[in-house]
Amino acid sequence: MKIVVTVKLVPNPNAEKRIDPQTKRLVRAGVDTVLNPYDEYALEAALQLKERTGGDTTVTIFSMAPDALKEGLRRALAMGADDAVVLSDEGLEGSDVWATAYAMAAALRTLTFDLLLVGGLTDDSSTGAVPGALAEHLGLPCITNARKVDIQGDRIEVERETDSGYQTVRGPLPTLLTTALTFGEPRYASLKGIMGAKKKTIAALSLPQLSLECPVGTAGSKTDLRSFAPPPVRGKGTTVEAADGAAGAQAIFDFLASRKLV
Amino acid sequence: MNNVIVYAEHRGGSTRKVTFELATEAAKIASALGGKAYAAALGPGSSALAEQLARYPLEAVFTSDDADVERFLLDPIVDYLAEAAKKVGPSLVLVPNTLSGRDVAGRLMVRLTAGIVADVVELSVDNGSVVCVSPKLGGALVTHCALRPGEYGVVTVRPNAFAAAPSGAGARIESLAKPASNGYAAAIENDVEEGASELALEEAPVVVAGGRGLGGPEPFETLLKPLAQALGGAVGASRAAADAGWVPYNLQIGQTGKTVTPALYIAVGISGAIQHKVGMRASGTIVAINKDGNAPIAEFSDLLVVGDAFRIVPELTKLIETAKGQHT
Ligand SMILES: Cc1cc2nc3c(=O)[nH]c(=O)nc-3n(C[C@H](O)[C@H](O)[C@H](O)COP(=O)(O)OP(=O)(O)OC[C@H]3O[C@@H](n4cnc5c(N)ncnc54)[C@H](O)[C@@H]3O)c2cc1C
Ligand SMILES: Nc1ncnc2c1ncn2[C@@H]1O[C@H](COP(=O)(O)O)[C@@H](O)[C@H]1O
Repeated sequence: MKIVVTVKLVPNPNAEKRIDPQTKRLVRAGVDTVLNPYDEYALEAALQLKERTGGDTTVTIFSMAPDALKEGLRRALAMGADDAVVLSDEGLEGSDVWATAYAMAAALRTLTFDLLLVGGLTDDSSTGAVPGALAEHLGLPCITNARKVDIQGDRIEVERETDSGYQTVRGPLPTLLTTALTFGEPRYASLKGIMGAKKKTIAALSLPQLSLECPVGTAGSKTDLRSFAPPPVRGKGTTVEAADGAAGAQAIFDFLASRKLV
Repeated sequence: MNNVIVYAEHRGGSTRKVTFELATEAAKIASALGGKAYAAALGPGSSALAEQLARYPLEAVFTSDDADVERFLLDPIVDYLAEAAKKVGPSLVLVPNTLSGRDVAGRLMVRLTAGIVADVVELSVDNGSVVCVSPKLGGALVTHCALRPGEYGVVTVRPNAFAAAPSGAGARIESLAKPASNGYAAAIENDVEEGASELALEEAPVVVAGGRGLGGPEPFETLLKPLAQALGGAVGASRAAADAGWVPYNLQIGQTGKTVTPALYIAVGISGAIQHKVGMRASGTIVAINKDGNAPIAEFSDLLVVGDAFRIVPELTKLIETAKGQHT
């Protein structure tokens, strides 16, 4: 079986982000680039499926990222993916969700797979629209938030989380699948994995290799970013040491009353 | 784009508050665009929901009682919505930012060759363009993004961001014909509801959230639930509490859980890790109860009370109940 996992490289979500008041840009200093957390879960699912099916199952990482960042994918290779394909092109700069999904779909058409695993959400842009968009572009079923997967021949059975509980769904392969975080915690890369990853291939794709009918990048985008700014600052509030339970409760109650919340 | 269509998500006719928030906002935006507002409620139970939606200032509510909507994963819904959107012409489609809303939105974007903006908390019209305000990078950045006036647009809207106010003159209810399809891909074999009777976390006006400091599942029932009930709110949790199995994952708040914006957020025994913060930082008022005065949550709460949650919370619940008793 061939599995492709889409992985986005994002600014470390655990780093405190700051916008430079002068340039109005994200201060990159001290913010490293990591694998989008949701994509690590999707990769973990792919690796578990590979272990379960064994044999000739392969896991390929696909990412659309600036060429300068692509080495960041070594971490995914160290976790156990077999190889990676990166779509990089200056012409992709400024792509919004429409243009990103369009370009990704064109690149994914050059790969073959039975299962396309996509993260549920990116940490930086958090639209969650890419999985559905890819499924439409590629004509694949779109099964999201999987927490258990069972593959028999060319059929897949998935237990998936919903807003109100969970469902069991059945569909054909190939399919697109996103994983819920309950599928399993992403593994750490072993030392052996890290060493092995250095020798794995990160193949490059660029726009001239794709068949595109619509423009991408800023020109192909359908939304215009007019401005961005940090949110209103939320100052540090008051700290009260509670002598006992009643005093603590009274302090909260009085505070809520002063804000008309009780 | 002159018209606005609301995707009215529901289960067998019962929906969440966000549907009515969207219907209210749709009418405002449509009138600013000089167009009309519509809603689409699909699947068994949609007629009952349409009756409720008719009390909002909408031109028409599209419905279909097609049972396939409950039998197949989203394909029929996307087909119907695309059909409704084509009927109405270049329009803005408002979708709730829920798990299935996001799936619907991504797919509609492609069907309608539309622009998309996600997790929107404010909408306005500027010179014929719809401008969307949405937080990005875990709330570190607030963006203003405009959709192209001549094209379709899809927006996922954060629950609790807009007010819901019925004021309709009786929308027309129009049943949609079944769109042609070459079959649906994924069949739903069974569908299980969990914790359905409880107030949805995203739309609760008050959230009382517990963390590792509570030490186990019981205090969520015995400590937090009574406080949440007294305040008319819902119980949430940190990931540490969800990971430990003390509460179901659908109560988790944060980067990998839900984003909530209640008027009041009370964090009990939660340290305030950045991944938790991004899910609740936009709350109106934040109160924390923590044993440790140096916990990171001190940096972004309006009030931190340093003390033992097990002693403070029951007293607080009593105070609130007493105060309520005096008013009624
Ligand atoms: C990729 C990734 C995604 C994540 N996503 C999320 C997410 O979505 N949501 C989330 O919450 N976390 C998330 N986390 C985890 C996050 O980093 C923290 O580990 C987690 O939020 C800690 O939960 P906590 O505050 O309940 O526990 P702790 O950090 O252990 O804090 C417990 C607090 O309780 C206090 N306490 C103890 N006893 C008492 C008492 N009797 N009375 C009062 N206070 C008491 C302590 O002083 C302490 O401050 C994520 C982490 C990663 C790496
Ligand atoms: N540039 C990208 N490269 C690879 N995968 C991506 C990219 N952008 C989005 N994705 C995938 O789509 C998922 C959802 O992203 P989004 O819809 O942007 O929140 C992510 O978790 C990734 O798996």
